[in-house]
Amino acid sequence: MASSEHLSKQYDSDLDALRSRVLQMGGLVEAQILTAVEGFSTGKRELFDQVIDTEPRVNGYEVSIDTDCSHIIVRRQPAATDLRMIMAISKTVTDLERIGDEAEKIARMSKQIHERDRLQPQRFGEIRHVGNIAVQMLRQALDAFARMDATQAAQVVREDVTIDDEFRAIVRQLVTFMMEDPRTISSALEILWIAKAIERIGDHAKNMAENVIYIVKGTDVRHTRYEDLEREAKS
Amino acid sequence: MNHILVRTVVVLAWLVLPAGIVYLSVGADAGWAVFVAGLLLLLGYHARNLGRLLEWLKRPDPDTVPGTIGIWDDAFAYLHRRERRHRQKRKRLRRLVLRYGQAGRALPDGVVVLDAQDRIEWCNEKAERRFGIDAQTDVGQPITNLVRQPEFVDYIVAGDYSGPVRLRTSRESGLTLSVQIIPYHGSQKLLLARDVTQAERLEAVRRDFVANVSHELRTPLTVLVGFLETVRELQLDPDRVRSYLGMMADQANRMQRIIDDLLTLSALESAPEPPRDERIDVHQLIERLRSDAEALSAGQHRICLEVQGDFDLLGVESEIAGALSNLVTNAIRYTPAGGEIRLLWRAAADGAAFSVVDTGVGIEPEHIPRVTERFYRVDRGRSRQTGGTGLGLAIVRHALLRHQASLDIESEPGKGSRFTARFPGSRVVARQTSIHISA
Repeated sequence: MASSEHLSKQYDSDLDALRSRVLQMGGLVEAQILTAVEGFSTGKRELFDQVIDTEPRVNGYEVSIDTDCSHIIVRRQPAATDLRMIMAISKTVTDLERIGDEAEKIARMSKQIHERDRLQPQRFGEIRHVGNIAVQMLRQALDAFARMDATQAAQVVREDVTIDDEFRAIVRQLVTFMMEDPRTISSALEILWIAKAIERIGDHAKNMAENVIYIVKGTDVRHTRYEDLEREAKS
Repeated sequence: MNHILVRTVVVLAWLVLPAGIVYLSVGADAGWAVFVAGLLLLLGYHARNLGRLLEWLKRPDPDTVPGTIGIWDDAFAYLHRRERRHRQKRKRLRRLVLRYGQAGRALPDGVVVLDAQDRIEWCNEKAERRFGIDAQTDVGQPITNLVRQPEFVDYIVAGDYSGPVRLRTSRESGLTLSVQIIPYHGSQKLLLARDVTQAERLEAVRRDFVANVSHELRTPLTVLVGFLETVRELQLDPDRVRSYLGMMADQANRMQRIIDDLLTLSALESAPEPPRDERIDVHQLIERLRSDAEALSAGQHRICLEVQGDFDLLGVESEIAGALSNLVTNAIRYTPAGGEIRLLWRAAADGAAFSVVDTGVGIEPEHIPRVTERFYRVDRGRSRQTGGTGLGLAIVRHALLRHQASLDIESEPGKGSRFTARFPGSRVVARQTSIHISA
């Protein structure tokens, strides 16, 4: 009896440690986006280098968390909530790693734009704006994961619509730039890639939020209408 | 104990007495019957009071302690007294805890109490706001789950709490925190989060200032030295020399302007508080500003004057005139030909306000808080072209601050700006109607 209690206590603390590590990875990825977007706005070289140098650390987190997940599955054979948690963590980590890739992409693209220096990215405040929304979504998704709060997760899913709208606005604006002055086309395309990367970050944050709802409620809310999802989250 | 023994003996004696009388007068059976009845009564009394005690213990409250007679009353009285004392003590403790809690909440720093596993046990409001945590629902959550900045996580993991760590929060936008963990009482930890945004900004301003002064002076100096060398080393025709000398004079003038402005600033900084009994005739001053503005604009802008209210200012005329004319000059510089510039002087909430409204290029919102910094420029090229030293608004702000006035800037890029100098009531007096009063 005493030994099984001891075991289950150990199991709980393993799961808690795993969750904490996912959140640490999330914090790192969040900082990566912030640094990359700040680099885009200010053009400071050291910021781009910082993002690019930190990327392997994000990848390291993904690999080690995934390994831990399989270890727990093999050794503990989790069921119900615990199993859902492990599955969701495994998916969330993939999303986080992709977000890390997008941040790196933003840093590389910004570096190129600033080296060429034709369109003034400082003037392009929309990227910073939409970047802030994406970071906020990621932060909320991580908060929802830390607190296992399905309602907050549902809010993240709703935010994704805003980011999609902003993305379309940026595309329209870039098209007018390119029509006015064809010399800006290559820079404009790179800014488009950056905007797209940020839009993808929003999508990944949304996936993470859906995973939280899956853990808490046990229902898969991917590809469902927002109203249904919200009802599910609040039920 | 003895007391109880005595009392029990007395009660038994009281039972034995009537039983004995009946025994002697009626008979043995009747005597025993009376004795047994007495014992039963006694038992009933005890059972009833025991029941009341148990009932009371379920909901202990000093006001409802049962009262009765005899030995049980003594017991209940003790209970009552004890319960009252307890309650007072509890109240005192609760007040104490409340007071400590309030003290913790009132601290200007964010405070979080962590347990041995770095889980949140308690936090104050400041910490809630700065870290986005909830003092009610997030208790027991590891702190790194919610404060996820990599610098902070590394700090916790390393476990070396000898110094603080600097964090930038993205929750309360652009805040810089200095976070320090202080272990206490064995494995417990206290986390302090101090807001160092202001200090950091000041530090940056100071660093920038020295760098900027050297840079601003070096640029014209380099040009000057370059021309000097050219003129000295090469045989040039007199016309060319004259044009070079002209450019050199421009650069020397520029350096002189910068140094003049720096001296004005430092004079403003070290001068005593401006007197409160020297009257500035604002109407005359504004009239003068308008004619200066028209001369500078050379008919390229429409300049309107809107003066409402008959009041004057108290202070140093040269400082106020310098500050206001600086605002007007800026408006003309940054407004394209054909634009409109309005000078307003009117009563404002608790005092008076002078505004310069233009239809010029405007200022992007991110620059507005910084344009009064020394040498801060929104657009470097443009400002030099128009002959600015980068110190104008810094001087304006200083001159106004010395008069307890503030400078408000509202602007919309492409639409125009409004610079407003707000003077407090203590600096504003009713306008004197007589032109001059001889002493």
